[in-house]
Amino acid sequence: MESITGLLTKIFGDGMSPMALLISGGLTMALIMSLVMAMCAIVFTWMERKVAGFLQSRYGPMRVGGFHGVLQPVADMLKILGKEDIIPDEADKALFMLSPFVIFIGSLMAWAAIPFAPGFIASNLDLGLFYIFAVSSAAPAGILMAGWASNNKWALYGAARGAAQMVSYEIPLALAAIPVVMATGSLNMNAIVDAQGGGVLNWYIVHDPFLFLAFCLYFIASIAEVNRGPFDMPETESELVAGYHTEYTGMRFAFFFLAEYANLFLVSCIATAVFLGGWHPIAGPVFLPGLVFLIKAVILVFLQMLVRWTLPRLRVDQLMHTCWKVMVPLTLLCVLGSGIWMMVSGELL
Amino acid sequence: MSDTTVTHGWEHQDKPRVQQSELLEINMGPQHPATHGVLRLLVKTDGEIVQSVTPYLGYLHRCAEKIAEGCDWRQWMVYTDRFDYLAPMNMNFGYAVAVENMLEVEVPERAQYIRVICAELQRIASHLIAIGTFGLDMGAWTPLLYCFREREEILNIFERLSGGRMLYNYFDIGGVRFDAYDDFAEEVLFMVHVMEQKIVEYNTLLTYNKIFIERTADVGVIDAETCYAYGCTGPVLRGAGVPFDCRRDDPYSIYDRFEFEIPYGQGEQGTVGDCWDRYIVRMREMSESCRIIRQAVDGMPEGDFMSPDLKKLVKVPAGSLYTRTESSKGEIGFHIIADGGSKPFRNKVRSPSYSNLHVIEKVGPGMMISDLVATVGSLDIVLGEIDR
Amino acid sequence: MTQYLRDIKDAVVSAFKGMGITSKHLAKKPVTLQYPDERWVLPERFKGFIINDTHRCDACLRCAKVCPVDCIYIETTGKAKDRYMYRYAIDYNKCIWCGLCVAECPTDACQHSLDYDHALYDRTRLVYEFTSPAKPIPCHKETRLEQGYYVPNADEERAKLAAKKEAELKKAEDETAAPDPSPDEGKVE
Repeated sequence: MESITGLLTKIFGDGMSPMALLISGGLTMALIMSLVMAMCAIVFTWMERKVAGFLQSRYGPMRVGGFHGVLQPVADMLKILGKEDIIPDEADKALFMLSPFVIFIGSLMAWAAIPFAPGFIASNLDLGLFYIFAVSSAAPAGILMAGWASNNKWALYGAARGAAQMVSYEIPLALAAIPVVMATGSLNMNAIVDAQGGGVLNWYIVHDPFLFLAFCLYFIASIAEVNRGPFDMPETESELVAGYHTEYTGMRFAFFFLAEYANLFLVSCIATAVFLGGWHPIAGPVFLPGLVFLIKAVILVFLQMLVRWTLPRLRVDQLMHTCWKVMVPLTLLCVLGSGIWMMVSGELL
Repeated sequence: MSDTTVTHGWEHQDKPRVQQSELLEINMGPQHPATHGVLRLLVKTDGEIVQSVTPYLGYLHRCAEKIAEGCDWRQWMVYTDRFDYLAPMNMNFGYAVAVENMLEVEVPERAQYIRVICAELQRIASHLIAIGTFGLDMGAWTPLLYCFREREEILNIFERLSGGRMLYNYFDIGGVRFDAYDDFAEEVLFMVHVMEQKIVEYNTLLTYNKIFIERTADVGVIDAETCYAYGCTGPVLRGAGVPFDCRRDDPYSIYDRFEFEIPYGQGEQGTVGDCWDRYIVRMREMSESCRIIRQAVDGMPEGDFMSPDLKKLVKVPAGSLYTRTESSKGEIGFHIIADGGSKPFRNKVRSPSYSNLHVIEKVGPGMMISDLVATVGSLDIVLGEIDR
Repeated sequence: MTQYLRDIKDAVVSAFKGMGITSKHLAKKPVTLQYPDERWVLPERFKGFIINDTHRCDACLRCAKVCPVDCIYIETTGKAKDRYMYRYAIDYNKCIWCGLCVAECPTDACQHSLDYDHALYDRTRLVYEFTSPAKPIPCHKETRLEQGYYVPNADEERAKLAAKKEAELKKAEDETAAPDPSPDEGKVE
C-alpha cells in the first residue's frame, strides 16, 4: 500500500487529501489483487495441465497458442463465457447465484494481507496472519450454500463433506503457523517476513525441528484447505460426480474454478511468507523481491500438484481421522516443542 | 378419494413431535463416473452410510444372444468381441473353444499356441485397465495413464496381428484368421520383459501406498461362501481365498502344458476377500500370464494356423454343450444348442461380470459411499458383458 | 502407539516413493503422439475403411451375405450374360470393421484401405457408393472378359472363351453349311 500511495502522490502531487489517497490507493490495490487472482487461474490451470501431462507421460495441451498450448486457458475462458447459464428449476435461486461470489470474495479478501515485496502489501495489518485465516474461512459457507441451493443430492454430499473438511482443517492450518508467531512475536505479515532476512538459515523452516514439522503439517493442511490432491472430498469426481458445483455452468462455474486456483496460490504465498522467508533470497542482499517471492510460491504450487497427481484420495472418515487424530496433536506438539526450544535457546523470555 | 381426510400438517401440533428421518435415495448412474459404463445403482443412504444397493441393468443390452439365431456359426464371432470389449480375445477364445468342442475338430498346434499367447496378452491388457480404473476410483489418476501406456503396446501387437486395436475378430472356428507375423515372438517377449518391470513400478506407485491400502484393506469383504452363493468367479473368487481357475482346474485348449501358479487372496493387508486382495490377485495374475506367454512363445511350432478339414460354412451337429473358459473377469461360459444347421439354435452366454456384480447387493449395505465405489471398482465389471 | 507412529511413517514413506516415480516421468519424453501432425505407422493388416475395387468385383454377393450387420448394398439387373451390377455401396454407419467380407471375397475386390480418419458433418454421406448407375458393371464372366474387366485366371478363361466361341462359330457354320448355302450369305461376308 505504501508504494502505491507513494506512486499516487508522485503522479497527482501533494494536493490529494489523505482520505482520497487512501480510497484511490485501496481501489488500485484491489484492482491489482483481482488481476493477480485472475492471472493465477490462467497461469495455474495451464501449469496444472502441463505438470499432470508430463507426470503421466503425455504432453497436455499443445495446440492453442503455438508453444505448448500457452493460450489454452484463454481459449477455455472464451468457451466458458459462451456457455449457457443454467439455473436448475428447483434450485434456491438467490443462494445459487450468490455462492460463487461468497467463495470468490472470501478468497480475494485474504490477498489484502499478503506481502509480495517490501511495501507491496494491500493492507499492513497488525493482525495480518489472523485476518487471513479469518476471512478464508468464509469458503465453507460458500460451499454449503452452493451445495444446498443446487438441490442436487450429489452436490449436497459434496457440500457437507467439504464444509466438514474445511472447518476441521482450519485448525491444524492455523495451529501450524503459531510457532512462527511465537518466534516473531507478531501477527504482522511484514514483521514475520522481515524477521527472516539474511540468508536461508534465518528462515523459519530451518529455525528448529519443530518448525520444520510445522511447515510440513501446514503444507498438508493447506492442500486439504483448498480441496485438492488426496483431500478433494468436496469434488471427489469418481464418487460425487463433481461435488458441490455439479449444477453450475458457465461463468458461475468459472468463479469456483478461479477461487480454487487463487486459493491454491494463496496458501502457497502464506507458506512462503511465513516459513520460507518471503522475498528474502537464499543468500545475499534482497534482489528483485517480488520475483523471489513468486518463485518460492510457484515451487510450492508445483509440489501441491505433484502430490495431487500421485496419491489416491482418502475416504471421508479417514480424512477426519487424519485431521483430528494426527494433524491436530502433531501441531500442538509443534507449538509446545518450539516453545520449549525457544525458551531453552533463550529467544523467548 | 372421498373418505380420505386431508392433512395439513398442523393437526398434530399438540402431540409430542416424533423425530423422523428417511433414507436418501440416490441414483448412482447410468451416467456416473464410477460405474464403469452404464450401470445404474439405486443406493439408499443414511448420511454417508449405504443402507441398500440395487443394481439395475440393461442399458447396454444389444440382443447378442437373439442375433445369434440369425447368424451362421462363424459370423457370431464378431458379436463375442463386443461382450467384454476390454478382453475380446478371451471372449473369442471361449466361443471358438465351445463350437470346436461341439464339432470335435482338431485345432492345429500353431493356432493353439497363438491363441494362448493372445489370450494371455489380453488378460494382461484387461487387468491393466482393471487396476488403472480401480486406482482412478480411489482418486489416483496417474496409475491409470501408466496402465494405458503399457496397454497400448499390447494393442500394437494385436493390431499387427489382426488389424484391429479394440475389436479383433481374430479367432476363428478351427484356428485363427491370420498367421503370426515374422517378428511376433520377439515383440511379445519384449512386451513381457517390459511388463515385468512395470509391475514393480505399479506396486511402488499404487499397491503399497499407505492411502491406497487404507482405502482398500478390510473394505468390501466378500468371503468364499458369498462367492459360491452368487456364482462369483475369476479374481473375485480367487480374492476370497479360493484358488480356482478354469485354466488349471478344467483345462481347455493347451493350458495343461504350461506351468503357472494361481494367485489367491491371503488377507495380507486386512481380511481375506477385501478389495486389496482382489486387486493384488490381478496384479499377480499379470506376472503369471507373463510366465505362460514365455513358455508359449518357446513352444510355438510351425504349421497350419487354420484347421484344413473345416468347410467355410460350418454345420454343427445337433446337441447341446456348455463350455467354460477363463476370461480376465472370470468364467465365461457358452451354452450352445445346435439343431444340426448352419445357424445356432440358441447360444446362451454365462458372463462372469453379471454374477460378480450382484454381490454388491449383499456386501453393499453398511459401507460408506466411498467404499461402495471402491468395491464396484474392485469387482472389475464390464457392462458390455453384463448386458450383452 | 507404535502402530500409530508406524502408520504415519508408512504414509509418508510410501507417498514419497510414489512421488519419486511420478517425478521421474517429468524428465522422460512423453509417449503420446501429436495426432494430426504425427501418425503411427499402420500395419499391413490394418482394418481401415473397406473399399471395393469395382474392376475386380463380379457381384457374387458373398460379402453382402457374410456381413453380420448387412451394411453392403448390391443391386443388379438382368440374368446370366445380361446381369449387370449398377450399385455397390457400403454403409459405414453400420459397418463394424469385422473384416469378414474381405476374408470372404473370392476376387480380392473388397479390401481394407489404410484410411481411418473420416469425420463428416452428415451421416448420410457415410454411405459410400462405389459404382454409378450410368456405368453398370458386368457380372458374367464372358461379358466381363469382353469389356476388359478382371476375371480370375484371365488368360485361361480367355482361351476357354475363345475356344467356346470358335466351337459355336464352327457349329453355326456347320449348321449353315449343312443345308444349301444361299448365295446371299456370301455377300454379307
